[in-house]
Amino acid sequence: MQRVRVENRTLLQRLIARPEFGPFVLLIAEIAVFWSFNHNFLSPQNISNTLAFTVELGLIALAMTLLMTSGEFDLSVGSLFGFTPVLMWTLFNSGVTSLEVGFLAALIVAAFIGLVSGLFVTQLKIPSFLVTLGMLLVVRGTALFITDGFPQRTWSAEGSWLSEILVGEFFIGSFRVYMSIFWFIAIALALGYILTQSRIGNWLQAAGGNPGAAAARGVQVNKVKIGLFMLSAVMAAFAGVISSLRTAAANPNSGTGYELEVIAMVVIGGTALTGGRGTIIGTVIGILILRVMRNGIVLIGVPGLAYNIFIGAIILGMMALHSWLERRHQAGT
Amino acid sequence: MTMAEPLIRMKDIHKSYGRVQALVGTNFHVNEREIVGLLGDNGAGKSTLIKVLSGAVPLTSGDIFIRGKKVELRDTSDAIRHGIETIYQDSALVTQLSIARNLFLGREPLKGPRFLNRMDQEKMNSVAQELLKQVGITKNIPPTTPIGSLSGGERQAVAIARAMHFDSDLIILDEPTNNLGVAETQGVLSFVRNARDSGHSCIFIAHNIHHVFQVVDRIAVMRRGKVVADNIDPKTTTVEAVERIITGMTEGVEDTTA
Repeated sequence: MQRVRVENRTLLQRLIARPEFGPFVLLIAEIAVFWSFNHNFLSPQNISNTLAFTVELGLIALAMTLLMTSGEFDLSVGSLFGFTPVLMWTLFNSGVTSLEVGFLAALIVAAFIGLVSGLFVTQLKIPSFLVTLGMLLVVRGTALFITDGFPQRTWSAEGSWLSEILVGEFFIGSFRVYMSIFWFIAIALALGYILTQSRIGNWLQAAGGNPGAAAARGVQVNKVKIGLFMLSAVMAAFAGVISSLRTAAANPNSGTGYELEVIAMVVIGGTALTGGRGTIIGTVIGILILRVMRNGIVLIGVPGLAYNIFIGAIILGMMALHSWLERRHQAGT
Repeated sequence: MTMAEPLIRMKDIHKSYGRVQALVGTNFHVNEREIVGLLGDNGAGKSTLIKVLSGAVPLTSGDIFIRGKKVELRDTSDAIRHGIETIYQDSALVTQLSIARNLFLGREPLKGPRFLNRMDQEKMNSVAQELLKQVGITKNIPPTTPIGSLSGGERQAVAIARAMHFDSDLIILDEPTNNLGVAETQGVLSFVRNARDSGHSCIFIAHNIHHVFQVVDRIAVMRRGKVVADNIDPKTTTVEAVERIITGMTEGVEDTTA
């Protein structure tokens, strides 16, 4: 019965025991290695380039963190990333709506898609893997069908206020900054607050950790999960629109494979795939680990095709570390 | 004979799962401030009776009264609202969350503007600390400790503390002493006594009859979907006599108060 408890540990020990610590060390090591190979790695231009796309994938990973903490995940985010801008531009190009209304309509459609996934998972008790796999195909198929597989015209976004507030760019010194990074920071803070400080956050952790016990306490487990499926879908849609406005492209195939990269970011950061435990700080670190890796290995001359080998190795290594920390934690040492 | 209305009265309760009849018109009652031990062999209907009372499964027919007033228990939150708290072994708590977060799960106090939905974590922690003391935990366990790093007995204590704090009139304990060591078991039994002494009633279900004998005021025995004896005084009866009723070697005396 005698256990060493949390309060007996030193500050350093507590820091090391945090799930974010391992990923943080890895990120620092990664940056140090790439920088020592090629000093351009930390050049303003390279940092700006890396961050631009990082925040787009990152927005999806932030929402996915909450969803995974509640014990579910969403494979349809990559297809929503491709589909939503296609829908927005189709509405706009065909003259049905203005760009802003098209944007709003596309987000509402995405929310509806999240709602349907959530209802399938919570009401029909089908695992989210199967539901969102089906949804992935439906959404991607729809995007390909309505475009005949061709990218949409996007040239007319220049100068619209929507484009300005989402991806407007400016320079701080020699750093090019897109507005999207402020959206990312704001959403990371908001979701971090929800997860750790709010009552909803307690509910979604309980929903992932022990849904039966949560429900017995009157927690609306299903409502929480449906809400998170909607959040995840809307965030994927939002990220897709940002990416489309920044690159002036709306390709029905874009976002293919993002779902797995996003899930990898979340679990590398220390969120449990099985639910109950999640960390937004960890996810932000996980996002950076994968994007820095992709950027860095190209910069130091490793063939880009080898990228997945490194990502796979990182995932395996991090999972081993998290499982080791978890066991130590359970043993109370 | 007139008696004060019991806290809980279950009258002519039937419950069938398809063709299987789990409860066949049983009566059962719990008085104020008493610990009732519910015994019976596997399949006797104990867990079904408890599930009906905790709102986990709907009854097929019959009536439930709380202090003489008929109530409907459609789901677990109905039961909790009526002051009936059920502590299932291992399943009542979220292991990843802290003691304080578990204690207040579903009823977290808020502070600041409502739309911020912000939990008052200071208050949760200080109340949790106080409750752990009240339930009888002497060790200094910080309320921010995750349930996962507590022992089985400490987890039961947290669950009991939660039921006491939210003024549950009836605390149902399903196998609270399963898999616990001797010292831990004694701890849990004393938590249960503390709960009774501060005004709560308990239903205590355990396979180990000796544990039941140590803590309860009255024993009820179920057999084949019915309470067959409900007024056994553990002070004047032997374990062997109760065992004979459980196995059916002695006929029980049916609940006549309902």
